[in-house]
Amino acid sequence: MSVRFAGVSFRYPGADEDALRNVTLAFQPGEVTLLTGTSGAGCSTLLLTAAGLAPHVTGGTRTGEVDTLGVDPMTESGRQALAGRIGVLLATPWTQLSGMAYTVHDEVAFGPANLGWDREEIRAHVHESMKVAGVSHLAQRDPRTLSGGELQRVMFAGVMAMAPDLYLLDEPAAELDPAAAGDLYAMLSTLALDRAVVVASTDVDRLAEVVDRVVELEHGAVVADGPPAVVLGAAAAVERGTAPTVAVIAHRAGVPPDYPTSVAMAARRWSA
Amino acid sequence: MTVLAFEHVWFGYGLHPVLRDVSFSLAAGETAALVGRNGAGKTTITRLVMGLEHPDQGQVTLKGEATASRKPEEIARHAAYVFQHPDQQLFGRTVGTEVAFGSRQLGRPPEEVASLVRESLRALGLEHRSDTHPYDLPPAERKLVTLAAALAQDPDLLVVDEPTQGLDRVQRDRVIGVMQAVASRGVAVLAVTHDVVVVAEALDRAIAIADGAIAYDGPSATLLCDESLTESLGLEQPSTVRLAMALGMRQAPVRLQNAAVALARHLEAEG
Repeated sequence: MSVRFAGVSFRYPGADEDALRNVTLAFQPGEVTLLTGTSGAGCSTLLLTAAGLAPHVTGGTRTGEVDTLGVDPMTESGRQALAGRIGVLLATPWTQLSGMAYTVHDEVAFGPANLGWDREEIRAHVHESMKVAGVSHLAQRDPRTLSGGELQRVMFAGVMAMAPDLYLLDEPAAELDPAAAGDLYAMLSTLALDRAVVVASTDVDRLAEVVDRVVELEHGAVVADGPPAVVLGAAAAVERGTAPTVAVIAHRAGVPPDYPTSVAMAARRWSA
Repeated sequence: MTVLAFEHVWFGYGLHPVLRDVSFSLAAGETAALVGRNGAGKTTITRLVMGLEHPDQGQVTLKGEATASRKPEEIARHAAYVFQHPDQQLFGRTVGTEVAFGSRQLGRPPEEVASLVRESLRALGLEHRSDTHPYDLPPAERKLVTLAAALAQDPDLLVVDEPTQGLDRVQRDRVIGVMQAVASRGVAVLAVTHDVVVVAEALDRAIAIADGAIAYDGPSATLLCDESLTESLGLEQPSTVRLAMALGMRQAPVRLQNAAVALARHLEAEG
């Protein structure tokens, strides 16, 4: 098990209500999970809490038990044990720039170098992760001159270069064009071969086809948890506004639920 | 009436060339999507519109006047800009003051500002957020605040960079509704977006940029129905079109409501 939440609530400093409410769930290695919900549902907060960035960086109060890769990320010893082991990608990649690197290559190498790896190991990891993220051609560019999409892929390369044991990705394709987003989504199951990958996103149209499991949050609480077709194809998902477009089309066409959640699923159901 | 025109515009950042001989114009009430791969030069085009950059060659005109000879604050009289990331432009202490700022700076009378602010907040479902600090809102709502502020400027041209990024379906529908509404009042809309749903629902024309040059300029529905063209531009076809194609339907409607009607008919015909 990679992450376990037991009765976890979280409140940001100065907030009137909890951003997470009594959340109990676990993420397993080998599994790609989509965390979705309407805006403000708590998906990003859940990732930050699993990584220990909430409350350590954000401030606020957490209650309940969190176990991330065997330790509590809220404790000092837990954070030290987790250094370099969690691949966190923020929804705002420019806030994740080290500010210490003048080339994309050095930016990607920044994490591994800070973990004290030897030079050859860093070189190999940086080379490989830049290739996988499709940013090798940008190696000598100044990271501050990149477009949003290029920067997001560079940050992803930087995260992969540390070979983390857990991926927590917040809207990892927000900045990407559809083709690049498709490439990234196609990579998720490979990343999840021996670790958990958790993606917080509203891009249900495309992610419904590539994830193993969907956890839906509403007002900080888990309201659905299961296979994508079950969670996102339910009438309730259409009502909550979290269903994929294909499900909405089917709903408006007067088809009874459960609705197909992807074009491929609709084609299987209605072709011939 | 032409609101915006690019005439043989060339532009680069230092030695890094970005735009090559870009020409297009936008009329009042016209809605256009600016699409293309990451790094194609889409955001650069919006910066040239707003006078934040100037062409190396060629010219950009706004309501007939070259932007190069005008200050950004003069350009703001005609064009309102919504940055891709709300945190790049929010600074007011409350949503209300934030949304009023641009309109007030343009020297509009207070009662007109108040009415524009009210209307913009209502259009985006933010009326109950007027006294909230923008940074106490979730990022998606912050984005809506920046759009409300642009609307409150009552511009001739609305330039938006990824207006639906990070929004949920309900919020996205609001943004689509707002773009349709302002266009019907004669406002020209230029939207940089990767969101094909927004292109399909709200933007009649698509201008695609590839390697700094215009690769397509025409009806967005034609582009979205063309599988090889969308693929070559790094775009995807909307689920509406892909569903119709997968089911072998004769017509591929790009908009959701039309797709629902077409699906109902198709299933009925198939028994």
